[in-house]
Amino acid sequence: MTNQTNTIIQSYMKMRKGAAEKPIDLRKRPRPAEKLIQGFLFACGALSILTTLGIVYELGKEAMLFFRNPDVNLFEFFTGTKWQPQILEFGILPLLNATLMTSAVAMLIAIPLGFSVAIYLSEYASPKARSILKPTLEVLAGIPTVVYGYFALTFMTPMLRSIFGQNIVQIYNTASAGLVMGILILPLISSMSEDALSAVPRSLREAAYGLGATKLETVLKIVFPAALSGIAAAVIVGISRAVGETMIVAIAAGAGPNFTFNPFRSAETMTGHIVRISGGDLSYASIDYNSIFAIGLMLFLITLGLNIVSQRIVRRFREVYE
Amino acid sequence: MTRKSYAWLSTLIMIAILLTACGSPASQIPSQEPQTTQAPVQTEEPVPATQSPSQEPQTTQAPVQTEEPVNTTGTSLLPEVDPASVSGNIITAGSSTVFPLSERIAERFQEEGFTGEITIDSIGTGAGFERFCVNAETDIANASRPIKDEERTSCQSNGREPVEFRVGTDALAIVVSSENSFVENLTLEQLALAFSTAKTWADVDPSFPAEPIQRFSPGTDSGTFDYFVEAVFDTDETPILNAENIQLSEDDNVLVQGVEGSPYAIGYFGFAYYQENADRLKTLSIEGVSPNAETAESGEYPLSRPLFIYSDATIMKQKPQVADFVDFYLTYVNEEILDVGYFPASEEAMKVAMQAWLDAVGE
Repeated sequence: MTNQTNTIIQSYMKMRKGAAEKPIDLRKRPRPAEKLIQGFLFACGALSILTTLGIVYELGKEAMLFFRNPDVNLFEFFTGTKWQPQILEFGILPLLNATLMTSAVAMLIAIPLGFSVAIYLSEYASPKARSILKPTLEVLAGIPTVVYGYFALTFMTPMLRSIFGQNIVQIYNTASAGLVMGILILPLISSMSEDALSAVPRSLREAAYGLGATKLETVLKIVFPAALSGIAAAVIVGISRAVGETMIVAIAAGAGPNFTFNPFRSAETMTGHIVRISGGDLSYASIDYNSIFAIGLMLFLITLGLNIVSQRIVRRFREVYE
Repeated sequence: MTRKSYAWLSTLIMIAILLTACGSPASQIPSQEPQTTQAPVQTEEPVPATQSPSQEPQTTQAPVQTEEPVNTTGTSLLPEVDPASVSGNIITAGSSTVFPLSERIAERFQEEGFTGEITIDSIGTGAGFERFCVNAETDIANASRPIKDEERTSCQSNGREPVEFRVGTDALAIVVSSENSFVENLTLEQLALAFSTAKTWADVDPSFPAEPIQRFSPGTDSGTFDYFVEAVFDTDETPILNAENIQLSEDDNVLVQGVEGSPYAIGYFGFAYYQENADRLKTLSIEGVSPNAETAESGEYPLSRPLFIYSDATIMKQKPQVADFVDFYLTYVNEEILDVGYFPASEEAMKVAMQAWLDAVGE
């Protein structure tokens, strides 16, 4: 680099001397290695896009096979309360309901706790407490979900059963899976919210203190609303995570589609069902096999919808400070 | 300078990619074939099927082998196998019920000197046949029911002719939690009710408590499910799949935990699995017959079923280790089977299986 600039300067000097020598070549030099690297990086980016396209295509194709099947009625698919592909019962409600229930329980845990942790970390914690708490939370996020699943089954469920009674809480139940899923999602929500809170400019807080607000008032009435877009995004990412979470519900929530609103009874979520069915020996041509792609497509649409909503929210509620 | 390092980097990356691409298959090449010298022994094997009952062991090893006290069942029609003299791999897949038995036999085969690799995948009877017939990947299919006609057809269209070997008998255990004190015996009709329309136990029998039944069943892909449906619902799976509160899982542990979890739960699986969990669960008698060795073998217990392994004559000839393994299996299965948790097949059934082996190899 320096060599090049030197030569440029030298030739410039020569020009200034007025000597009418040959003009400098200002055209871009060809750099093959640079091109190669650029191409490689582009290929990496393109690969991820192509993968996504491929997944959507495959999901759509197999799901179309399912919806085109004469045994499948689109109306019944969305309103039926029984899912048992073996006997041609295709109502997605029990699976959808279980997914929504576990996610709701999870968010019930993760949102309040996550916000509290985030507010504590960004506003109250001493640097020392922060330096301990934050890595610990991140460890929580790094535990494999299968471990969480067995934690739910062997710790959370017995605990719920000893609190509410053996006969009320079934061994597999959505509440236990949801609670543990809440713990899983907690670090995600807390760290994203904390980032949002920390990004609020100091001047806002100082202005609030200047007007006589207490620390709590400042946090709740000034900082929190100012960070709302980031916090809303955190919540929605958390929900997507809960909807897509598989291992915990597969282990702890139950192994049979069951349309129930009682969180202490067993029910199977969409992801749990896909895992259980694809683990067996479905032949590729069967409608059962295609049906799991239809469920997959539903899941994909749900998370896609959530992502779009989250982007809207981020744009809508974004507060811009200089 | 920078340009040079970029070039270096990219060549390095390219080399790394190439290496990873080519490396993995290369590393899988099995490195063990020291026994080429003994191979001829194997190929000479064809034993004249008709005159074999005198169990004259084969060719070179004869002087030593004849003295050996043969298996305890005493009725083996098959030539003695020396596992150490064979090599190569044996690939089996299929029923999760037969799995522990095959695993046990495979372990013994290896303990007695077999140096090759034996793969046993526990994927369910149907999947086992799919791999054996459709994909033609496996040498042996483990099955907890006889092969279906359409499976046989798909085998034949792939040039495979499945040969059946009976290896034992399994009994389905109908289990409830050991905390359950009200059920001891069910009739087949009551059992069908309990796994279909009955909402509470009182619907099964008025003397039972009016508590909802929690049902646990092996998944629809398992041979155990097929067998249960066949025996209890006359092969119509609609009632059981329509039952409320039913949980289906291929993982027997899920079932054990579920049944154990409530006195009002009921489930079923292979007797072997019950024995492993006998302290936590309780079996029910069916039609007044409790499941045990005699009632299963005699067929008196209504929910007993045969266990099989399937192979193909061509494979057994091309891969002598497969023929030897099946031979070994049939010869020693009765010494191991009770320990694994199943019951021996009848003597006649074993004779038929051994004859099938002789026919397959002798052709």
